[in-house]
Amino acid sequence: MKRITWKMVSTEAKLLLIGIPVLLWTIIPIYHMVLFSISPRDQATSGRLWPKEPTLNNFRLVFEQKHFYLDYFWVQLGNSLVIALSVGALTLAVSTAAAFAISRLKVRGGRTVMNLALFTYFIPAAFLAVPMYKTMSNYGLLNSQWSLILAMVTIASPYCIWVLKQASDKLPLELDEAAKMDGATALQLFRLVYLPLMVPSLVAVGTYALLLAWNEYLYAFLLLSKASSVTLAVALGNFVAADDSPWELLMTTGLIYALPPAAIYYTFKRYMVAGLTAGAVKS
Amino acid sequence: MASVSFRKIEKSFGKVKIIHGISFDITDGEFVVLVGPSGCGKSTLLRMLAGLEEISGGEIAIDDKVINELDSKDRDIAMVFQSYALYPHMTVRENMAFSLKLRKADAALTNQRVGDAARILNMEPLLERYPRELSGGQRQRVAMGRAIVRDPKVFLFDEPLSNLDAKLRVAMRAEIKALHQRLKTTTVYVTHDQIEAMTMADRIVVMRDGIIEQIGAPLELFDRPDNLFVAQFIGSPSMNVLKGTLRQADGRAWVESQGHAWPVDTLTQAHDGQTVVYGVRPTDMNVSATGQGIPAKVIVVEPTGAETELLLEVGETQVIVVMHGRISVQPDDIVHLEIAQAKVHVFDDASGQRLE
Repeated sequence: MKRITWKMVSTEAKLLLIGIPVLLWTIIPIYHMVLFSISPRDQATSGRLWPKEPTLNNFRLVFEQKHFYLDYFWVQLGNSLVIALSVGALTLAVSTAAAFAISRLKVRGGRTVMNLALFTYFIPAAFLAVPMYKTMSNYGLLNSQWSLILAMVTIASPYCIWVLKQASDKLPLELDEAAKMDGATALQLFRLVYLPLMVPSLVAVGTYALLLAWNEYLYAFLLLSKASSVTLAVALGNFVAADDSPWELLMTTGLIYALPPAAIYYTFKRYMVAGLTAGAVKS
Repeated sequence: MASVSFRKIEKSFGKVKIIHGISFDITDGEFVVLVGPSGCGKSTLLRMLAGLEEISGGEIAIDDKVINELDSKDRDIAMVFQSYALYPHMTVRENMAFSLKLRKADAALTNQRVGDAARILNMEPLLERYPRELSGGQRQRVAMGRAIVRDPKVFLFDEPLSNLDAKLRVAMRAEIKALHQRLKTTTVYVTHDQIEAMTMADRIVVMRDGIIEQIGAPLELFDRPDNLFVAQFIGSPSMNVLKGTLRQADGRAWVESQGHAWPVDTLTQAHDGQTVVYGVRPTDMNVSATGQGIPAKVIVVEPTGAETELLLEVGETQVIVVMHGRISVQPDDIVHLEIAQAKVHVFDDASGQRLE
């Protein structure tokens, strides 16, 4: 066993000195959220570290839609889910096909298209919100969930194409050539060879797009306005519109809303790290 | 079973021309090896035959049918890649059956073909494994199995043994040759390793910088290289070459080099005083401690068991001699070189062409 030296202790201390504040910084908001969600209404802002009478009543209120802010809770949660899943699926379809065409079929001008798409990230999404609103209104899509789905696919796709392109560049070209010699058409190559080998990256990219849509506020707020068609994220924003916001219900709903992403992240963590970093470094 | 013809084949990448009008024919059932240093265009030529590269000029024909515009899959050829290119997510069986599956062959036929190929290659127990669970040699065998299952007109091999270790390479070499003797399918094999070319080929095509330097049977190339390049490329250790001046007088001929007279037969294509390159293979010389011959100083003695390789210094140059058996010489000893005069090669210094 190694002897403990002063140097080791001081290194450890320095790391802790950075680590502990970062941990607190991350954990305190979540702690607050949990604290509010298990506090009765009159004790929510009492400033105690743990409520005197912890309760799950807030959850019951939310699930039973017992507040006028929560009239459409289940519908809105469903909206969020439908929109997130659609964005995930559509983004995957678009970016996989694009990455395959650019990286494997070497379509002329493919790289230029990808770079142009990436270029859109130089403009903050907030700046594009108004043009996007105008466009959707031109197409008559305002208030339709398609508008948000299409907008989010537009925002997610460039990055996803780039990640998938980098990942597919790593697949040996000989595989395509072997398949070609074996008699595969481009579509068969895509379906039978390319897709199975890209699964880790596809999971990562799909999850990324799904979470991006799930967490989106600005675009959802702009493009959707009917209470029955907005996502839960927008509905949460509406809580603070009044002077006497039901904070404990806001936090409870927020906590519920945060659980699916956490679950998804932990399920696919393995792929997320492998998939997203796979495209990170050009080698 | 098929013949293959290359007719004035050219290939350019952009403005750079890398294959300059190559023509030769491969007869039915022949095993032809394309060999040359890297960048000579041998792989490109193979890939043009495979349909993986566009043909910039000329024609390639299989059984007299021009295939320039045909897709790879319609050319009825199978290829084994250097990197094996096995589908990682499929078992050995699925890998081998893939081409038949794409052709929608019925299950019974597929099973029979895969079974036959597995038997030929001795890998029946491996059929349900994944490529990642196989050794390099086994993977190479699967790649060959995938080609055999197709029962193609022509087999193409693109440096298939380069990724294997030395011992396995020798074993696989014999295996591929035995396979060809058994199946008798026309085969085009690309390698940069002249030993592979020598041991496997019915005929060798030596290429350099996009042109053919010489075509011939292995021993033909070894015994009568057309030019200095082929002379030095074929054979290991490679041929000793010395620059010198040809002297011919009174029915006698020799080459003056390094202050000595190197014996040659009289040449009709050369004249007295011509600058030539004198070539002699390490195995076509003998050393003796005393007596006649050109004196040389021993630099290094490398016994390999059956043979002894000597590095000698003659004047300002060095020559290698390979002797059968073992000899007792030490570094710094002076020995005498006896040269098998009939086996000497002489090349024109300017053109590098063989002189007779």
